[in-house]
Amino acid sequence: MLIREKFTVTKRYNTIAIALMVIGILAILGLYITHGAKADVHKQARFWGSLLQNSVYFLLVVNAVMFFICATTLAWGGWQMSFRRVSEAISACVPVIGIICGVILLLICFGNNHELYQWADPEKVKLDDSFQWKSGFLNKTFFAGWTIFTIAAWSLLGWKIRKLSRSIDDKPLTVEEGKKYMWTNTVWAAIFIVTFALTVMSSIPWLWLMSIDAHWYSTMYSWYTWASTFVAGIALITLFVIFLKNNNYLELTNEEHLHDLGKFIFAFSIFWTYLWFSQFMLIWYANIPEETTYFKPRAQGIYSGVFWFMFIINFLAPILILMSRGSKRNYTTMTFMAILILFGHWLDFFQMVNPALSKDHVPTMLWDFGVALGFVGVILFVTGRALSKAPLVAKNHPLIKESVIHHT
Amino acid sequence: MVNERLNLEKEIETVREDCLKPTRKWGRSTKIWIGCLLIVIAWGLYCYIHQLRAGLGVTAMRNYVSWGLYISTFVFFIGISHSGTLVSAILRITKQEWRRPITRSAELLTFVSLLFGGIMPIIDLGRPDRIANLVIFGRVQSPLMWDIISICTYFVGSSVFLFLPMIPDMALCRDRLTVCDTRFRKFKKWLYTKMAIGWKGTKSQWHRLEKSMTVMTIIIIPVAVSVHTVVSYIFAMTLRPGWNSTVFGPYFVAGALYSGSAGVILGMAAFRKLYHLEKYITPRHFDLMGRLVLALTLIYAYLNLNEYWIPAYKMATAEGHLLRDLFSGSYSIVFWTLQFGTVLLPIIILSIPKGRKPLMLAITCIIIVLGAWVKRYIIVVPTLLHPFMPIQEVPGDWSSYFPNYVEFSVTAAALAGIFLVITLFSKMFPMMAVWEVEDGIKIEHDKQRAIDIRIQREAEEARSRALETDPGIQPIKPDIIIG
Repeated sequence: MLIREKFTVTKRYNTIAIALMVIGILAILGLYITHGAKADVHKQARFWGSLLQNSVYFLLVVNAVMFFICATTLAWGGWQMSFRRVSEAISACVPVIGIICGVILLLICFGNNHELYQWADPEKVKLDDSFQWKSGFLNKTFFAGWTIFTIAAWSLLGWKIRKLSRSIDDKPLTVEEGKKYMWTNTVWAAIFIVTFALTVMSSIPWLWLMSIDAHWYSTMYSWYTWASTFVAGIALITLFVIFLKNNNYLELTNEEHLHDLGKFIFAFSIFWTYLWFSQFMLIWYANIPEETTYFKPRAQGIYSGVFWFMFIINFLAPILILMSRGSKRNYTTMTFMAILILFGHWLDFFQMVNPALSKDHVPTMLWDFGVALGFVGVILFVTGRALSKAPLVAKNHPLIKESVIHHT
Repeated sequence: MVNERLNLEKEIETVREDCLKPTRKWGRSTKIWIGCLLIVIAWGLYCYIHQLRAGLGVTAMRNYVSWGLYISTFVFFIGISHSGTLVSAILRITKQEWRRPITRSAELLTFVSLLFGGIMPIIDLGRPDRIANLVIFGRVQSPLMWDIISICTYFVGSSVFLFLPMIPDMALCRDRLTVCDTRFRKFKKWLYTKMAIGWKGTKSQWHRLEKSMTVMTIIIIPVAVSVHTVVSYIFAMTLRPGWNSTVFGPYFVAGALYSGSAGVILGMAAFRKLYHLEKYITPRHFDLMGRLVLALTLIYAYLNLNEYWIPAYKMATAEGHLLRDLFSGSYSIVFWTLQFGTVLLPIIILSIPKGRKPLMLAITCIIIVLGAWVKRYIIVVPTLLHPFMPIQEVPGDWSSYFPNYVEFSVTAAALAGIFLVITLFSKMFPMMAVWEVEDGIKIEHDKQRAIDIRIQREAEEARSRALETDPGIQPIKPDIIIG
């Protein structure tokens, strides 16, 4: 079989990516003029909220792809080796979006608008006992330090793991070398997973997102956020795999691999729903005022449309559409579902951020779509470049054969 | 070829005999063991009757702590019952070949621990007859109602899940019963015949069995998850500090999987030793199960982090009292021993390959199982001692709790009951799914054959290549190779 090892970025691909980025920049500018530059703090907060939602969402999604790589490395999951380079290329977006996101977060934290992070306002902290109590955790120094450390750690560890993967491209390994190689991979993947557990799966969502509603807390929050972005991450991988397949790349990947990606999306959509239900049901049932304040505007207030629509997209659609075997092996259905799920979880993040900022009406989503398209452009651009830099098949990896003969 | 076939048949015959052997003879040690269990059960029954006649006042439970050891044990037993689904269903779905010799004991453990777990809340009632009120006047809004429904569903499901793969084995027992002499032969004959439900091993029967197994495997997983989520809701839906936490559902499920899979390992180790199954349950099985427990322990440790870290960050008044009591107060020694001794220590031990050797693993699993039990106690009791509003006009000593002899005796009887049912079961039915192990051997055999054929073919090719260059070498006749 003839294998096209190198992905070449076509002109059209580049134009689309750059066009999307331009749309994103225009949307940010537009949002700045209509909201950010206004004197009203609530309007300003709308601008920052949109940036926060989009940058954090896309950062966590591309980083979840790195988590997928590390989790499959630890489990010796060989089936995904045939498209492993795709996942790696997507994870190359982490440093880029990480820097964008870091700058936005620090600007929000140290800026003059404290609508988003009320705990960053010294005046409010003085008047509020619970802010004072939490100030050991919710303070500017810790926020900035931990944010910078986290983004740096994700970027560096991801870089190391990608480098490890490419280091054997030119030299076939003997059995002994292969064992050693797997062990090095395992160690680095384990380090990443531990870092991941201490950041994305716990402290980072508390700092970045949960602290918008600083009086409210849920022990489920970080896990829930992770589940949300993990499904979206796998959907993103699926999209790129299908795109490359349609362009006659990735000869070794076939319906069997797509089927398993579909299973992942299906399973983790249900997993997400389980976490969603656990969080919602408990708070709804217990009905403690300080807890229900979070869900009141979302489930019953003006955001209820977004909230339940998001739930339908993220739960009912995958369970109904992806249940059958045929749909998981169908390129069209899978493309549709992947886009739907990426959008659904984006909507989830929208309703995590905005109800705290805009209490009397749901902000027009058009601007946010524009910003989101900008980030999609960044992902397309960076991933395309990363794909063209390395061979598309990790041909010397010890598990590649397992992936070639893989069937579900 | 013929030789190979004979070998295979001989091998399968040994498997069958090895599996059926324990069901044929009751040794003296078995009888003594059963006698001891019966004594414990009898004493527990006596204590329970005492409790029934005199009321719950004979236990240490008072107004503050009304869910003591009984309910902790209930949660623990339900947790152990997750073992069967995990090992059996998840490993079946992911097509793990090594699961074959251990599925039966895992499924049995689910069945039995669910049986006794379900009884515990009834024991906790001063008037057990009032359980009927739940059915007569039950309200759908009540978590207790959900609990009854989900546990009953799970019980029915896991019984079917245990029974389905037993059908071909029952037919085997039925057919082989005439060969050997045994006591209760008539009864056994009747039982096996009934349980085999006319199994002949025809193609359509196999097809139906496999289809229903697939369906059950898929159904039982969400049912199992829902059961422990709902069990956690009994606590989490109650407005109590430390319980009303959104992560409680997954936290309980993870805790259940962690203790349940450790329970399976203990069962494996015991049957391996007692019934001489070393040939089938190998150190490799222990190694793999050890890895599984390690992964589950890590998840459990992570959820512990969420469960205690976030409330600690909030430290609201009532939660603050509870957490201070756990972190540095009267329960701190137990709490930290549990966190370090039964979560962190197993992680360290299981990370080392030597820690996953059968003996070491079994010891670690005893620690895990005991730890999980005490942990349930630590979840249930301290929270009850710290209500949002203090209970008024009660004696001061009611604000502390330690179970008394009645509770210990009844709980011990329940544990003995579990052991008794498992022992009797293993003396009546094969403890390994015979046909599944046979299938495994056949698959292994086919694989070996495919490799042999390939080696031969390669050798032949090399020969014919050599033949082209050097005509002096004689070609092998193809029929010899196939034969």
